[in-house]
Amino acid sequence: MTADPGTFEQRAHIGLQTPGLAAALGRAMDYRAVQRAQAFAGTDEPAVRAAGEAIRAHTVANLDHYLERFAENAAARGTKVFFAATAAEAVEYVLQVLRDHGAKLVVKGKSMVSEEIGLNPALGSADVEVIETDLGEYIVQLADETPAHITTPAVHKTRGQVRDLFNRAHGADLSDDPAELTRFARDVLREKFLAADVGITGVNFAVAETGSFTIVTNEGNVRMCTSLPRVHIALMGMERIVPSFRELSLMLPLLTASAAGLGVTAYVTFVNGPRQPEEPDGPDEVHVVVLDNGRSAILGGEFHSILHCIRCGACLNVCPVFRQVGGHAYGAVYGGPIGMVLAPLLDGFDAAGDLPHASSLCVACTEACPVNIPLHEHLLGLRREIARSRATRGERFAFAWWGRLWGNARTYRWSARLARIGQLPLVRRRRIRRAPFPLSRWTSARDMPALARGSFRERWRRMEGRGP
Amino acid sequence: MDRRAFLDVVRRRLAGVAAPDLPSHLPPTFATGDGRLFDRFAAALDLAGGEAIHMRLDELSAQLAVRVAGCATAVVAPVVDHHEAILEGLARAGCRLLEPGRDGAAHADLGVTGAVLGVAATGSVLLAAAQGAPRTVGLLPPFHLVVLPEDRLVPGFEELFEQMSALAARSSNLVLVTGPSRTADIEMTLVRGVHGPERVTVLVVTA
Repeated sequence: MTADPGTFEQRAHIGLQTPGLAAALGRAMDYRAVQRAQAFAGTDEPAVRAAGEAIRAHTVANLDHYLERFAENAAARGTKVFFAATAAEAVEYVLQVLRDHGAKLVVKGKSMVSEEIGLNPALGSADVEVIETDLGEYIVQLADETPAHITTPAVHKTRGQVRDLFNRAHGADLSDDPAELTRFARDVLREKFLAADVGITGVNFAVAETGSFTIVTNEGNVRMCTSLPRVHIALMGMERIVPSFRELSLMLPLLTASAAGLGVTAYVTFVNGPRQPEEPDGPDEVHVVVLDNGRSAILGGEFHSILHCIRCGACLNVCPVFRQVGGHAYGAVYGGPIGMVLAPLLDGFDAAGDLPHASSLCVACTEACPVNIPLHEHLLGLRREIARSRATRGERFAFAWWGRLWGNARTYRWSARLARIGQLPLVRRRRIRRAPFPLSRWTSARDMPALARGSFRERWRRMEGRGP
Repeated sequence: MDRRAFLDVVRRRLAGVAAPDLPSHLPPTFATGDGRLFDRFAAALDLAGGEAIHMRLDELSAQLAVRVAGCATAVVAPVVDHHEAILEGLARAGCRLLEPGRDGAAHADLGVTGAVLGVAATGSVLLAAAQGAPRTVGLLPPFHLVVLPEDRLVPGFEELFEQMSALAARSSNLVLVTGPSRTADIEMTLVRGVHGPERVTVLVVTA
């Protein structure tokens, strides 16, 4: 998982200057919010979410147990389970499977884990053709970009841009009608499905009880990937598991309601193993790669509950920052609030330490999270950890003195009086619009209201005795 | 990495983490049944863009012939309830049968399958890969017609998932299908029929 170059601020500017991006994102996100509300209508949403939270908390706290059961039950059905501690191990395993089968063409369903481990570039350099088959992912792949949203990868593309991409890539002459563009992609990708050697997909939930795993889609590309090629490889983050099908009866509706809203997805695929001898079709081999890649280091710590995430994307859809800057501004695989917490933890503070600051802490993400992850508290916690790891000696000295000054009422009032005088050269019409460094870091983006002429306490003392 | 070493790392990190119990009761969701069967099934499937029609067995071939009008070719899963009535209906509609393998399914206008069960709350049918039930028949043709005996309708997800581990033991692949294939990936505009069938009709049959 490598961050794009530059800081969040620099990348955000690209998003902000992209014509129509914020409007397109806003429309898409509003549409999702309405659908989500409809999907929860008539149910006791807090109770459903509390049950979802309890299931996730129980499962992740017993992750070793459930992973072991999953691996044993899957192996009993003939599924090959590989545990990858790092992204490199996961990529190497996939490459080995492809080499074993002499694979030349791979069809891929949507998988954020494959983005996380950088699978496509690795396969490309190994001379394997990889085709993304989710329509949004296919668009993003043609544009040579990365997904801009967990569940809606091409949310940032207009129909005109999609038309241009398709026409350029295939020498076609299509209009910008989404139905025509979709039909065209269907025909192109159908050929690939029928010719592919290997299908690669993600996993939404693995079921410990039976060694099964499930994948939700609306388009049907995952049914193709799991049915037509001889080999199916599924990639899953190690926390993506439920104890049994009973829990899935709640987690599945919770996921689809939070992700896209309005009922269940068109398809929920349950893979229970490779084709059985009497079955007429299906893959002869099924592999599951269980990925750690930094997740175990989060377990048991302050940010443990971020591993309860079910990747629905609801926190992105409500985030006012995400709606303005788009997914690419985060420069990480996972954008929006979930990405702001995950990226620094998985990629390190050097690569993604500025992300937790890209939030107004409005708490919309926490309110939207179907499994009640306190995202805003994690953002604050990360800001604290990052500040601690980065503070220079000068900063530590300055803040220590600031703390002492403001910890005492007399010195606090004294400092406020000094500031009231010190601000005078900067104040224009009761606001500070421009200031020298380091205050310019604030005023470059927003005004600072000037300090009032007197404090509340001072005015109170003057008014005392005059009555209300 | 070795499985034991991988899980040991996880186990060490989790030492001392309090684990809440699984909830003893699961609250209802939109996928929870309310006792209604066909009516709710039809309404939910309609919302998803498919259609459900209720009929007696003696109406099946005539009704099927009406629904598949315009399909020149069809593949039929070799093992399906009411096989004879289905073939009769297809013959009536002048629909030519192709071999129900990958090639046949890739070229057919219509695929006819049965289903293990139907879920009333969501308008879904569950397809299971099995002997005589190729995956491609309900997947590759643009029109998927399902023949479902009415007694296989269950109220909701709770009843579906009660049976899932037994079903999973018997089949390598189960798919819960709810209406036609769809996408909103281009400007959130709904388009039906991406990779899977663009038309899904379920004939619910009473004996």
